[in-house]
Formats: sequence, structure tokens, C-alpha cells
Amino acid sequence: MKYPYWQREFEAALREGDSQSLRQRVDAAEAALFVRLQALAESAEGDEERQAISDAIGTLRGIQRDKLGYPDWNTK
Amino acid sequence: MPAKRILVVDDNAVVRTLVRKLLESQSDFEIAGEAENGRDAVDKAEKLKPDLIILDLIMPVMTGLDAAPLLKRLLPDTPIILFTQQEGSEVERQAQAVGIDAVVSKTQVASELVLKAQSLLASIERQPDPAKFRNAS
Repeated sequence: MKYPYWQREFEAALREGDSQSLRQRVDAAEAALFVRLQALAESAEGDEERQAISDAIGTLRGIQRDKLGYPDWNTK
Repeated sequence: MPAKRILVVDDNAVVRTLVRKLLESQSDFEIAGEAENGRDAVDKAEKLKPDLIILDLIMPVMTGLDAAPLLKRLLPDTPIILFTQQEGSEVERQAQAVGIDAVVSKTQVASELVLKAQSLLASIERQPDPAKFRNAS
């Protein structure tokens, strides 16, 4: 696994087919990404992982908007 | 000086807990309460009257950008920090347009959030109290 600190949670969110459990999976992935971002913020390395995290966050945003009904912040 | 009371608003319970722990490690802050979306933030702000609000952007029910003007109407002197994973000039522009006082990225080291909170609260304390000004004249 390339990104062991968050990849498992992220992929679990992507695979989740049960709408009741989806919010929990997305929240778990988001929390893992946040914790990892905090660790990377104190390091000069990890540019590739930061980009991967940015992409993962974008994917989670899409799930939140399209499947969980979160309002879109950028409508103005 | 009494600790400043902070309302933490984020839909993610883990993020709220981490922010709470970070702020509680500072003697100058205490957590007034937590809210899990923009609507909940408005309700809690009205009840709790915090000194500062830390507000997530993307949340169910109501986003941080939609909640901010309502919070500013309720508590015009209470600074709001948008604490978000969403980065870029568009977020900054929209945040400024709705009266948010500062944007801190969740990609920054968490101590940046503490520093920003301290600096916003210090700048409010430096502002003259209009009531005192009126009494002196």
C-alpha cells in the first residue's frame, strides 16, 4: 500500500455501497487525511503524497455533494 | 485574564476533537461548544456567545460560507476563522465577501490556527471600547 496512513480508509469510502454507512466511511477517510496532512505539514518532504491527498479530498467532496447531499460551497 | 471561549464547527467529529485538544492545550482558550454544521453553529452561537468561532467550509445542511453572514449578524464583533481543506484564491475571496476574518488551511501545521486565533483576539482587545470613549467625552 503506497499511502498506509489513509489509503485504506479512502478506498473503503469509495467501495461503500450502503448509503447508511457511507457518511461514516467518508468521515473516517477525511479524518485520516486530516491527520496525515498535519504530519506532512511539519515535513519538507511528501509533495507527491500531498498531491495524492488533494486528489483524494476532491473525490470525497464529490461523494459528499452527489451522494450525501452536502450543499455546494462554490455556487456564487 | 479569563480564557477566551471558542465555538468549534466541523462536521467531522475526529477533526472537532483534535481542534478541541489543540486549543485546550493553550491556557488562554477554552471550548464554549461544538457544532456539526452551519445551522447548528448559528443556534449554538446564539446560546453560547463565544469570543471566537472556528468554522469548517464544507458541511451538510449549511456550509461555512452560508453560516458566516448569519453568525456575523448575531455576533458582529466575534471573529470567525474559516478552517478548511479547500484552498485557493476563490475560497479567500468568498470568505472575505461574507465577513470571515481569516482563512487557515487544514494543510498548514495546526499551530497556525492557534496563532491566528490569538492574533485576532488580541486585535479586538486593542480596539477602543466605544462606551468608554463616550463616557470620557
